[in-house]
Amino acid sequence: MSTHAQAPAALDLSKAAAEKKYPARMPRHGNAGLYRRIVIGLLALAVLAPVGLIVYQSFLTAAFFSPRAQFGLDAYKYVFTDRNFYKALATTAIFSFGMVAIAVPLGGLLAFLITRTDIKGKRLLEILVLVPMFISSIVLAFGYTVSVGPTGFVSLFIRGILGFVPWNIYSLPGMILIAGLSHVPHVYLYVSSAMRNLPSDLEEAARTTGASIWQVSRDVTLPMVLPALIFAAALNILLGFETFGIPLVLGDPNGIMVLTTYIYKLTTLFGTPTYQLMAVVAVVLILITLPLVWMQRKLLRNTRKYAAMGGKGARVATLKLGTSGQVIALSIIGFWLFVSVVLPIGGIAVRAFVDAWGEGVNLWDQLTFSNFDRMLEVPSLVRGIINTVLLSVVGGAAAVGIYLMVGLAGHRNWGLSNTVLDYIVLLPRALPGLVIGLAFFWVFLFVPLLTPLRPTLVSLFIAYVVVGLSYGLRLLQGTLIQVAPELEESARTTGATIGRTWKDVVIPIVRPGLAGAWALIMIIFLREYATGVYLMGAGTEVIGSLMVSLLQTGAMNTIAALSLISIVLTGAGLALALRLGAKIHD
Amino acid sequence: MTELVVSNVQKWLGGLQILKGASFTAQRGSIVALLGASGSGKTTLLRCVAGLEQPEIGQIVIGGKTVLDGERKLALPPEQRNIGLVFQSYALWPHRTVRENVGYGLKLRGVTQADIEKRVQAILERMGLGHLADRFPSQLSGGQQQRVAICRALVYEPRVLLLDEPLSNLDAKLREEARYWIRKLILDLEICAILVTHDQSEALAAADNILLLQDGRIVQQGGPQEIYSNPNSFYSADFLGANNIVKAKVKTIDGKAAIIGGDDWSLDGTVREAGGLAAAEDARAVIRVEQIRVSDQPEAGSLEMTLDDSIYLGDRWEYRLRRGDFVAKAHGARQLSSGRVWARVPPESVWVFSAGQR
Repeated sequence: MSTHAQAPAALDLSKAAAEKKYPARMPRHGNAGLYRRIVIGLLALAVLAPVGLIVYQSFLTAAFFSPRAQFGLDAYKYVFTDRNFYKALATTAIFSFGMVAIAVPLGGLLAFLITRTDIKGKRLLEILVLVPMFISSIVLAFGYTVSVGPTGFVSLFIRGILGFVPWNIYSLPGMILIAGLSHVPHVYLYVSSAMRNLPSDLEEAARTTGASIWQVSRDVTLPMVLPALIFAAALNILLGFETFGIPLVLGDPNGIMVLTTYIYKLTTLFGTPTYQLMAVVAVVLILITLPLVWMQRKLLRNTRKYAAMGGKGARVATLKLGTSGQVIALSIIGFWLFVSVVLPIGGIAVRAFVDAWGEGVNLWDQLTFSNFDRMLEVPSLVRGIINTVLLSVVGGAAAVGIYLMVGLAGHRNWGLSNTVLDYIVLLPRALPGLVIGLAFFWVFLFVPLLTPLRPTLVSLFIAYVVVGLSYGLRLLQGTLIQVAPELEESARTTGATIGRTWKDVVIPIVRPGLAGAWALIMIIFLREYATGVYLMGAGTEVIGSLMVSLLQTGAMNTIAALSLISIVLTGAGLALALRLGAKIHD
Repeated sequence: MTELVVSNVQKWLGGLQILKGASFTAQRGSIVALLGASGSGKTTLLRCVAGLEQPEIGQIVIGGKTVLDGERKLALPPEQRNIGLVFQSYALWPHRTVRENVGYGLKLRGVTQADIEKRVQAILERMGLGHLADRFPSQLSGGQQQRVAICRALVYEPRVLLLDEPLSNLDAKLREEARYWIRKLILDLEICAILVTHDQSEALAAADNILLLQDGRIVQQGGPQEIYSNPNSFYSADFLGANNIVKAKVKTIDGKAAIIGGDDWSLDGTVREAGGLAAAEDARAVIRVEQIRVSDQPEAGSLEMTLDDSIYLGDRWEYRLRRGDFVAKAHGARQLSSGRVWARVPPESVWVFSAGQR
């Protein structure tokens, strides 16, 4: 029979080619096609309208509501001849790549130590390592200012010993170092999941042939997680281009600008809002980030392919570090944790409770609650706290509801609407929160029907939903996909329409996942600061954006108190997320 | 009464045709088995009937209602087809109790709560599950889950019950029991059932009518005895039963009677190839293992062979026979000593097919 094996295969092939002209597909009835199209259409509108408005504004000679506004390339001409723009562009590029050069090796090392070795206290470390990711970067940056800034607590202490401060964080290298350290969790997240999927027998095989731990890591582990490392690098370059908090706090005092702070500074530069110039820079930023997002998407597909080769249930045996190894490994992680968690958060915690400090001042004598007392007297600050909590707790829940509706619209969906959804979700990732906030601010000015909503929290909420869209939808889709298709099909054959199936089977099964997603979205909304910069007004203040505007006035006492409140709220959110079993490692 | 008519159903998947025109009918109070190797399209055909897959061409009528018509581009969703489907994995909803799982179909059909209670309890009692009504699926054994899945698909009295490999997740002993009571249940309730299986003994024991599928086509259909003892192709002959496949050359041919042989042996056989065979052609013969009788005494009309070994199988012995390039297995009640034996094969049990893949 083996002699015949070749011939039929060839025959089948030509037969398949002949049969390629197959009839048109049958329409899918009862698949909630209308619902899917409406939801995806609305989402497309919510994402495309602001972006479209930015592009439109960039081609006008004045603000879009001004009667003097005409089509023209004046704004592009101004920006492209402005030396500051090119300086900001170059700084952004250096900043992003420098950040990657620090975050990727360190994140990879932490991932290796925590997933592949028998390091002590693994379970606690897994959570601690992610902490910087959950704190807003403006809070972190402020934390560094008060601890290691020119007059920070640690700087003063060191100066007391050495007579000078050997560092300056208000510089590009300082910014890069701090941003690099605080983006380590983003690298850790992807690389550690790739490392978990590696079958450890490959490493063991290398060990038995006499390679040392470090040789194995270099020759076996590293090449196999390379796709994940490349993906993490691409992600961090994107985050670098979008970052706002760190350059604003650390770069601005010395006039170091990146693209986002350049947009922000354009307003103060001219005294009046120059919308067309801001729009041009936003368009440039999108033109840089969109290809990055698209590239990431391709990379992620490849990474998944690569990881799938490891096979399921790969047994992970850990490398033994030995006593000295443990000490070295724990010191590395401990030092990183000290620099990127303890320094900023500790600084804020101290700063929030003191009023005056300096050389020769004993901090214990200065302990005071006055920062908080004074805060309660300012109505905008109190409202800011209430609004932030409202937006994250209630708004977070509503956002999960919206993401669920979108997730269902894309759940086991085929055809054009699914492709549209795929691309729509990519777009917000290419937009920095500052730009999304600005764009929605314009949308609410531009569309008469929406104008009454602008001074309400609804405007912030809608912008936040778009900011959190790709993260939130990925969370929801990850949960929905875990419902076995037969569970849905059996409801259909029992007589339930697709809507009933979602209501009675899919949603009840994913409910625990929804609770976890809610907690995580809550943290995302809590730490958001850039989106509200333009969008918030009197009555709709939020903590993060308040801090941005207070920075201009130099009200450090208030910022310190707000930072501490933000950290405490985030901590509570994180505790809730862990309690609800959220998968923070996804 | 004909409950299900499937005619000329064709389906493509990414340029590959996976159903190439399947047609069959099924009656009330009978079981039709779709039997085939994996990849033969049997599950796809079942899912087309259920409405979970959409074929491009064909017509399906369930209980007098057209649910699929390729020409009119009509394809009703599963919930409008009035069917019950039992999944291979049972697909019980983990967040609902047994009672809620079974009662869901009735609830969807607007049956009153009191009626639902009564009917659910009745069918659970019938299946011996009455005491488990308030448990969750994860608290049940595999066999119990399977019976709950059948209850859930039956309780609202669908026109057609579809079973997708319902026994494959049970252990061997449970499986034999289950195929008996499933058959009894379906005949008692007088419903129309379609059973997908790759297990020939399941199809033979449970079905009234077997459709044998190969590569998206129904290659043979008939009653269990018909399909077992009267195969129309090499594929059918080989798929069912335990077989010896013998490569040989046709020596002489006389109508249906043929003599085949090889290196130092020859056998009388019957031509089963639909297109007939010619002398001197290469051929394959299928001989069911149970058709060969082996004796240590010479007998008239038997073939002298060498017994290499007798293997003990518990309830019987298996003989490993050889003569030239003719190698065969046979069964018997006692151990024979290795060496010369005589094998008797009735000519009507030596099914001769062409060697080529026509």
